[in-house]
Amino acid sequence: MNRRVGLCFLLLLSACIYGSFAMAARKSFMDEVRESEAPFDNRTVPLEKQVIEETVVTMSPNNDEFFRVLARKKQIGRYKCSSCHTDKPVKARQGLELTHSDVVLQHGLGGRALVCIDCHHREERDYLEDKKGRKIDFDHSYQLCGQCHFRQKRDWLAGAHGKRVANWAGERVVYNCATCHNPHSPRFEKRFPATYSVPLD
Amino acid sequence: MSSDKKHPKESDIIKLLEGDSSRRSFIKNLSIAAAAGSAALTTGCIPSLAEASTEEMKLRWQEFFKKHYRLMTQEEKDAAVGRLERLAKLENNLDLQMGSEPPIDGVLYGYGFNITRCTGFMECVTACIKENNLDRKVHTQYIRIFEMEPGKLDPSTGDGQYYHEVPVDNKFYMGTQCFHCENAPCTKACPTKATWKEPDGIVVVDYDWCIGCRYCQAACPYYGRRFNWGKPEIPKDEINTKQHYLGNRIRPMGKMEKCTFCIQRTRKGRLPACVEACPTGARVFGNLLDPDSEIRYVLKHKKVFRMKEELETDPKFWYFID
Repeated sequence: MNRRVGLCFLLLLSACIYGSFAMAARKSFMDEVRESEAPFDNRTVPLEKQVIEETVVTMSPNNDEFFRVLARKKQIGRYKCSSCHTDKPVKARQGLELTHSDVVLQHGLGGRALVCIDCHHREERDYLEDKKGRKIDFDHSYQLCGQCHFRQKRDWLAGAHGKRVANWAGERVVYNCATCHNPHSPRFEKRFPATYSVPLD
Repeated sequence: MSSDKKHPKESDIIKLLEGDSSRRSFIKNLSIAAAAGSAALTTGCIPSLAEASTEEMKLRWQEFFKKHYRLMTQEEKDAAVGRLERLAKLENNLDLQMGSEPPIDGVLYGYGFNITRCTGFMECVTACIKENNLDRKVHTQYIRIFEMEPGKLDPSTGDGQYYHEVPVDNKFYMGTQCFHCENAPCTKACPTKATWKEPDGIVVVDYDWCIGCRYCQAACPYYGRRFNWGKPEIPKDEINTKQHYLGNRIRPMGKMEKCTFCIQRTRKGRLPACVEACPTGARVFGNLLDPDSEIRYVLKHKKVFRMKEELETDPKFWYFID
């Protein structure tokens, strides 16, 4: 009797061990994904649609690789700023009425709300300026935004924030910060959805 | 009376159907024989044979007897696509550019959805409807966006029919569509093998092989599939003419359809329409086998989860949190 119980126990044990091996042997596609470390050349994929927007090469690389970002200067209505902001002093009141009255500043919280020269260069109006006093080109505004929004910048560089333009393949071209966000009021405004849904079947 | 001079069309038909000897070709020959026989009886008053001479009937005939997409050679696929283009021109005067691009080597598509970024604007839904020629009459949508209470992660608890200003404070938004499971239950349920997983991970439907039994719809735990109850109605000027055989070509009545990751775009390097339309960048798409791709970064560095993971369907669609 004892021997029979022992045999049963042995059988059960071996079944369990075999079962666990079988479980481990079953391969998920995620194993294949994890193991694929060979670089994939996106440029080998023939593209149907080329990016026609003007782009510049970024100053900050992602994993030592430089990519392209949508240029901004042509999108800014009154660029170059130095065509108005000359050596002659501009009266603040007149300036606001004539040119920048449409700007609503809603950037920064509570008492730490931002003012113009927090981002714009104090003297050279064709440029931005960060807190270290670096002169920053409008096309490379991510350098400026990233000084506060460093988490977003880290994600943006790698592609978890923002998005690519048109193609998943080909040379990497991404949206600039200010392509999506209004820098003066970066939060997306509330609005009605583009469509509605009806119940399924 | 069966001489070639009297019935030149008949020999034409046989010529264009020649080539293979299978059960299908046997049926084909049977039906040709039947048509020829009845034609002989009524001496040419049968409209079917008369119409068979027209280009349209010939094309429809060939379409009806074509093979399953997976059994076709690339030449046969090209021929089928050419026929469908020509038929669209003859029937509806539409100039289509239909493709049958094969999967790209070394590519496995994956999708990320950022539930912290989505604000429920539903731009993705409208873009999808336009891109994929979805029926405007019954308002078919592949993508659904749910307004969710904080703490809940099951879309069935959310509101899928909201229409008010979004985003609402203290709510979050979660989109669903076909998740392109690696272990897809829908493909196993199909009795005619009309739906399968392509090597690049996209689960597709051969609309001409689908019999509309809706088993796949019942098998899908994510409500990812849609059924054409009627003939899809799309305003002619809104039809997307860039199509793919397995993708956004206009489905006939009584067929199953679903999100194909915009196969007509993605196999040519483009982003799916929903990703391109998303105004908040909540959608990430890329090649899972590319270690430098955006989707791989998301999988490596973000908190990700998949819906109903316990079912072991292995979807290629991850939700993530910033």
